[in-house]
Amino acid sequence: MKDTNKTIGTPISRIDGIAKVTGKAAYSMDHPVKNPAYAILFKSTVAAGTIRDIDSAAAEKAPGVLGVITHKNVSKLNVKGGLRGGALLQSPEIEFYGQNIGIVVAETFEQARYASRLINVTYDKKEPKVDFNKVADQARLPKDKEKADAIRGDVQTALSQATHKVEEVYETPIEHHHPLEPHAAIAEWNGDNVTLYSSAQIVNGAQSAAAATLNLKPEQVRIVSPYIGGGFGSKGGQWANLALAAVAAKHVNRPVKLALTRQQMVNSVGMRQHNRQKVSLAATSDGKLTALAHETTTHCAINDEFVEPCGDCSKIMYDTPNSLITYRVVPMNLILPTYTRGPGKSTGSFALESAIDELAYKLKMDPIEFRIKNEPERDPSNGKPWSSRTTVQCLREGAKAFGWEKRKLEPRQNERGNYWIGYGVSAGTYPAHQRPTSALVKLKRNGEDVTATVELAAADLGTGTYTILTQTAADALGLPIQNVTVNLGDSNLPPAAGAVGSVGAASYANAVNDACEKITQELMTKSGKQYYVRPTAAQLMRSEKLIDYQTRVDSKPPESAEEYSAHSFNANFAEVAVNKSTGMIRVNRFLAVTGAGQILNPKTARSQIIGGNVWGIGMALTEESVVDPRWGNFVTRSFADYHVPSNLDIGTMEAIFIKEKDEHVNTLGVKGIGEVGIVGVAAAVVNAISNATGKRVRDLPITPDKVL
Amino acid sequence: MRPFTYTRAKDATSAIKLLAENPNAKFLAGGTNLLDLMKEDVERPNALIDISELGLTDIKTVTSGANKGGLSIGGLGKNTYAANHPLVRQNYPLLTQAILAGASGQLRNMATNGGNLLQRTRCPYFYEVSMPCNKRQSGSGCGAKEGINRMHAIFGWSEQCVAVYPSDMAVALAALDAVIKVRSTSGQERSIPIAEFHRLPGDQPEKDTNLLHGELITSIELPQNRFADKSYYLKVRDRASYAFALVSVAAALETQGNKIVQARIAMGGVAHKPWRALKAEQMLVGKDATDANFKLAADAEMADAKPLEHNKFKIELGNRSIVLALQMAMKVGKA
Repeated sequence: MKDTNKTIGTPISRIDGIAKVTGKAAYSMDHPVKNPAYAILFKSTVAAGTIRDIDSAAAEKAPGVLGVITHKNVSKLNVKGGLRGGALLQSPEIEFYGQNIGIVVAETFEQARYASRLINVTYDKKEPKVDFNKVADQARLPKDKEKADAIRGDVQTALSQATHKVEEVYETPIEHHHPLEPHAAIAEWNGDNVTLYSSAQIVNGAQSAAAATLNLKPEQVRIVSPYIGGGFGSKGGQWANLALAAVAAKHVNRPVKLALTRQQMVNSVGMRQHNRQKVSLAATSDGKLTALAHETTTHCAINDEFVEPCGDCSKIMYDTPNSLITYRVVPMNLILPTYTRGPGKSTGSFALESAIDELAYKLKMDPIEFRIKNEPERDPSNGKPWSSRTTVQCLREGAKAFGWEKRKLEPRQNERGNYWIGYGVSAGTYPAHQRPTSALVKLKRNGEDVTATVELAAADLGTGTYTILTQTAADALGLPIQNVTVNLGDSNLPPAAGAVGSVGAASYANAVNDACEKITQELMTKSGKQYYVRPTAAQLMRSEKLIDYQTRVDSKPPESAEEYSAHSFNANFAEVAVNKSTGMIRVNRFLAVTGAGQILNPKTARSQIIGGNVWGIGMALTEESVVDPRWGNFVTRSFADYHVPSNLDIGTMEAIFIKEKDEHVNTLGVKGIGEVGIVGVAAAVVNAISNATGKRVRDLPITPDKVL
Repeated sequence: MRPFTYTRAKDATSAIKLLAENPNAKFLAGGTNLLDLMKEDVERPNALIDISELGLTDIKTVTSGANKGGLSIGGLGKNTYAANHPLVRQNYPLLTQAILAGASGQLRNMATNGGNLLQRTRCPYFYEVSMPCNKRQSGSGCGAKEGINRMHAIFGWSEQCVAVYPSDMAVALAALDAVIKVRSTSGQERSIPIAEFHRLPGDQPEKDTNLLHGELITSIELPQNRFADKSYYLKVRDRASYAFALVSVAAALETQGNKIVQARIAMGGVAHKPWRALKAEQMLVGKDATDANFKLAADAEMADAKPLEHNKFKIELGNRSIVLALQMAMKVGKA
């Protein structure tokens, strides 16, 4: 008896879609707790110095106030517990503007916020280092060994001997993740144990970091995070607000809800740092690359380091005998930068793929042919074979679908009324990894009806984890999808990898598949029968008349995966229209072609890819967090100032997936698509603007004033 | 936000009385700007008088007075309604275009016409209370003048304040010579020409307008004109929707043959009030509607601009925008 057709690879709608649009899905602040109090953080208004005094007398007397917590009365927390960015109220030292310096807890959010404004803080100020342009020349080698100078061959000699070269500096500004759901947590103590209803891309990571920070054992902390209203890296590593919710709840001996305001998001949960990237390329006159150097200068926090790997794409995208990848970093009085969608690859590909385009113009070559000419047979950074590589297919299929042949090789040749029209292309990549993940499968039978529950502490960022795991389990167990329930986002469930670094789908789906395979195998063994046709678990539950059965698996990537270099690849195509008078830019058409192995659900995958594309277009055209170079405050603190693209800015968006079967990457052949969708996007748009106007802009975002 | 009392006014007379009695009271209409500012602790009224149920929403032809034959737009009508009213679309398409260029559909559905006139600047130093701002706190200094000032004024600013006024609607109203009707405790209505409604910052940047405390905007009157088939609102911004203007231009022309009989040009995003480009207008009257004359007019107007560190581009952009808006007015006309 056949239970169901396969659902993997079919575009089923989100399992959790109706719960979300009807408000039934509980995000961080929505979980019901008894008698909650509300906390708000208050923050420093200087970027460097020491708090001289905090006068909270008026706040403490304000209506509804239950407590004020500052460095003077906060409990001892472990600042090395794994929460990012410090700001745990453990000292009076100020390292950046907007650093947490206290918490007000009150009966209502409004009362807490009002009282926080009655607090008077005095500082012994120091001159802050907040102007990147002034301190960039003090940048030093990062401590992170991954960021050591990577040298192959002799770039300098190759550059000096080259007939065709590009040596340019590309700037990307600070960006913020700004998920629609700001970071929030409800803390509820039960004796010495605390439950944190929160929003975590890495459920087990949030648990261990919160526990260590609060000087608790991991099992004393439970993270409940069934839904996440976007994270983009800012909810990967967790920040002070998570532990401070627990501190506040302990202080008032009640459950406490602590949410950040949109304005507080700019200096609470990391950011993408300002990168200054020098890219040098050299090529022979027939378009063979002879040198590629990618030198990044950036900034980090005063006492902690994070450096985006901007040179990652440059390491593997093109075949060149001489290669140099370097990083330099300078500490500044700004919040710690962190992982931000496509860390390093999105920003780095802007620099690399712009430079490739610039060199293609100089060579008078089509930029697609130029790229294909320099396609590497193996991973140039480590000599490993590719598990699969689809760059050429992405470029060729994309060119055909996009009508690339209509592109003019020379800029400023295509006008439509008062607009210059331009076409741009780029290529990109993102690593494909599977991380250890456990999963529990529970089967129940009621008559002929078999249902399954799948449980793991995985995260659904809103991208479709519930849906793809339902499909995976349904197919592997032989059940219709409506008979499968997936529970995620709870640290009481079997531990799972984070939804970070594009590892989610591969780690979770393979673990669920392994668990379903295991349960089927166990049921076959249990039956003691020989099977010529392998039965499904559902069939076995019926034939063996079992009521309940469950099993758990601790899934790991195949050992052979290490022998290959595994990545998703893409090509991006943009058509822009630039207003000749005003410089306003519209992306008329955007096409992303992605090779990411087995696509579990083309519908949710498409959404994820075009979401990344929109962010990449934002990187190219609109997004920038601006720091006042005197005081270190962000002047762009809301969506009125921090511009993400609107519907009117973009016309048609199309996503094509290359049909490929990667035999090496993991059992299901799944690669990640979480980040590859943003990689190269900004460059495609920038290259299109250059093709349209003849103007090459190397500092993002390209606002109208930059193309006048 | 700070504690405040809330009263829902039943009629205009009692609303005005309630406001006049309390110097720290404010009217609440759509609330799209005031409530945000209260949450950020910028506005600190101790009483809100809700005027959203007073009526004053009609759009009708003016039957008497100086603007007879023109159009009266209720002060408490919603922006969306005003933009889409057939009499506005037909006779004042410039106003339709300007309103629809502002904010988002959701905000325009809430925002009132009178409230739009009273929008406060979006200067980030005004919005963050830990920053110096003479407009928010007299004497605290101007954070923007030596700070981040890409969005700020190039005309009419003072040492005290370089903020710009954010409304699009008011830029069209300035070009259309609108008259703001306001009522005070006396029950009498007073007319304030749009050109005198908003102020330049001077030494009192805390005062955005010449509206007196205790006055309620009851309507906006538009005189009759012959611009309906030759007007255009151009808004240049960092993204195509839901962004404030880098520069905007409301242009309206009346022509006989190709000769310009009357020209109206107002600019947004360049000053503390809608900036009427009188020099450009004077250059155009009696001239032919040619690109060359448009350029001469734009040059004349922009010659007086005084940019700050980050907004020098607004001179070139303003110049091009005046030319383009005039070209579009000739070409496109009606909304």
